[in-house]
Amino acid sequence: MRLLLSTALCTLALPAFAATPEEVTTHYADIAQATYGDALTTAQALQAAVAALVAQPSDATLQAARTAWIAARVPYQQSEAFRFGNPVVDDWEGRVNAWPLDEGLIDYVAEGTATNEENAQAGLNVIATPTFTLSGEVVDAAAITPDLIAHRLHEAEGIEANVASGYHAVEFLLWGQDLNGTGPGAGARPFTDFSTSDCTGGNCDRRAAYLVAATDLLVADLTEMAADWGPEGAARKVVTQDPTQGVMAILTGMGSLSYGELAGERMKLGLMLNDPEEEHDCFSDNTHNSHYYDGVGIRNVYTGSYTRVDGTVLAGPSLSDLVTAADPAVATELAGKLDASVAALGAVKARAESGMAYDQMLEAGNAEGEALIMGAVTALVDQTASIERAVKALGLDQIAFEGSDSLDSPDAVFQ
Amino acid sequence: MRALLLTLALLAAPARADIAEAVQDHILPGMAKLQASAETLRDAGNTCDTKALQDGFHATYDAWMAVQHLHLGPTEEEGRGLAVLYWPDPKGMGAKAQMALLKGDPAKLEPEAFAEQSVAARGLLALERLIYPEKPLPADPCPLIAATTADLARVTGEIAAGWQDYAQLLTTAGEPGNTAFLSRTEARQALFTQLAAGLETLNDGRIGRPLGSFEAPHPERAEARASGRSLRNITLALSALRDFTESLTPDAPQTLAAFDAAIAQAEAMDDPILAGITEPQGRLKLEILAQSVTRLRELALSEVAPEMDVGIGFNSADGD
Repeated sequence: MRLLLSTALCTLALPAFAATPEEVTTHYADIAQATYGDALTTAQALQAAVAALVAQPSDATLQAARTAWIAARVPYQQSEAFRFGNPVVDDWEGRVNAWPLDEGLIDYVAEGTATNEENAQAGLNVIATPTFTLSGEVVDAAAITPDLIAHRLHEAEGIEANVASGYHAVEFLLWGQDLNGTGPGAGARPFTDFSTSDCTGGNCDRRAAYLVAATDLLVADLTEMAADWGPEGAARKVVTQDPTQGVMAILTGMGSLSYGELAGERMKLGLMLNDPEEEHDCFSDNTHNSHYYDGVGIRNVYTGSYTRVDGTVLAGPSLSDLVTAADPAVATELAGKLDASVAALGAVKARAESGMAYDQMLEAGNAEGEALIMGAVTALVDQTASIERAVKALGLDQIAFEGSDSLDSPDAVFQ
Repeated sequence: MRALLLTLALLAAPARADIAEAVQDHILPGMAKLQASAETLRDAGNTCDTKALQDGFHATYDAWMAVQHLHLGPTEEEGRGLAVLYWPDPKGMGAKAQMALLKGDPAKLEPEAFAEQSVAARGLLALERLIYPEKPLPADPCPLIAATTADLARVTGEIAAGWQDYAQLLTTAGEPGNTAFLSRTEARQALFTQLAAGLETLNDGRIGRPLGSFEAPHPERAEARASGRSLRNITLALSALRDFTESLTPDAPQTLAAFDAAIAQAEAMDDPILAGITEPQGRLKLEILAQSVTRLRELALSEVAPEMDVGIGFNSADGD
């Protein structure tokens, strides 16, 4: 029996038919479709909660909307592994997850906080201002619509900090500024900011209109991306029409998110600046979850396994199978590193849930917080080296890669 | 005859200047110079003599420009590179934090406490704001200048010391016990990646930020304007990357020639703080330089990478 069992296990570990790049990239695209599908349904739940909030503002409806927003981040953050290496996703991403933002563009902020020497609109406050001038043109913002947000306000005057749409714009409207610095506490916007009878903060009708329009826009953008991963979708084609390039895109997505983006831009830089605004979900203090699910998403695309919001598991031919067939030692190393980074990000999440929020970890002199964040940074940097080894093991290292830029302009690389 | 030449060419071992040469000729001397110039600057910080400070500032900035493209190992660890130069700082966090330090508790200027401060309030550009102030400072800057220069000397000393060990890791790549670089190829790829990423960040940052768009050029976003170093830093970055390339492989004639051409373009600009880019003539020159740097990166990938038998790896410039 024992012998039989180990034989069976061996057969599982070393399938007679190794997965092909075609199967791997198709399953990868299926996981992407499911992940964006979940991002869409959770955003629709947020949309319903926002509708309830503006219909009847109360602590309960505001809290329900916040809970829905946090739930919506779980699948979305896992989708970030699909971004780098796929221009269809990367070009779209800024609409839904742009960060950091000059939130004073959208609504009132505390005095002295709307400063950005590179952004004349950092304190525009669209909610309080029905007519204003952008790039020399008068903008009629009497009605706050998804179109106004997407086409006039977002990245206004070509400035990236003018984030008018996406998760973080909605987050700001639900939580407000977190004025606690590196101390405890998130943004504390009162529900009365949406009340037409007891309005606080002024222009409550316009604030409600902005929140509804931004949430509608988020749902529309996610609908588009879910379709882009459908059977004939553009994002799916990027990775399936040439499976070798598709495998490279998977690895590029993993490596660029691990190192330059998450370990560097989103984690280490914030720590070095000790700046509580340099946390990804700075209004809601949900950064620990956002980082954690980024890490889970990176592992998902390697193992070819995604646990959907409803608990069903999507498993199939994976990059892990390809690397195992090419070099089992590298496959084992990479799997171990991915587990280690998820564990290190999990430690950050656990500590945040037990009372030390991510922005508190950023405080100068907070040795415990620094160690937690640096532990995750080190694990992410470490796994990047193993991702490079996987690239080499698969014989893809002669295809120059570097993340979004090279794949956005492949001519520049392949010349 | 032709066959003979070909045979000879094949027999002649390709000049394999790579890891050891890059370490010995480029990296370690550059790090030593950085440390030495920062120590001289620290001494000037103690006397608070303006002329000595400004001289020391420029010498240290020059030395940093010679090695700043090496975003790995001790420069990356503990964010030391950011503590030497944090730029850009569009929200003016550095200036804000420095105002608080100028008027605040002097205990925060003690070395250990100062080392804990935000990187935006430390390093070369923090020092620039104190020794080339745009408006009068609200308090005697000398204590903060001394703290800033001492911190720079400490950080660059750590970088230089760390590189002695890290250089060992690079040169012993593939040997038993070296877990950082499992093969010489991994070490070569790590170095090549710095070259390609260095060219990319030069174009995105030092050149691209002021260049902006045709409708909206932004000379005010150029680096180190108060000390007049904007163009100088671009030229020095190109020179450093050329030197680095030459140490990595002598067999990159097109790339080296393109570096020479780009350096000559930069030197001919005569626009120290890029003020001229608001005019079409001046803007055109910077645009041409940007195109040259783009072309340089393509050449590095098509000529230097195959010569070194590597592809480009992930780097800290990936992402947004």
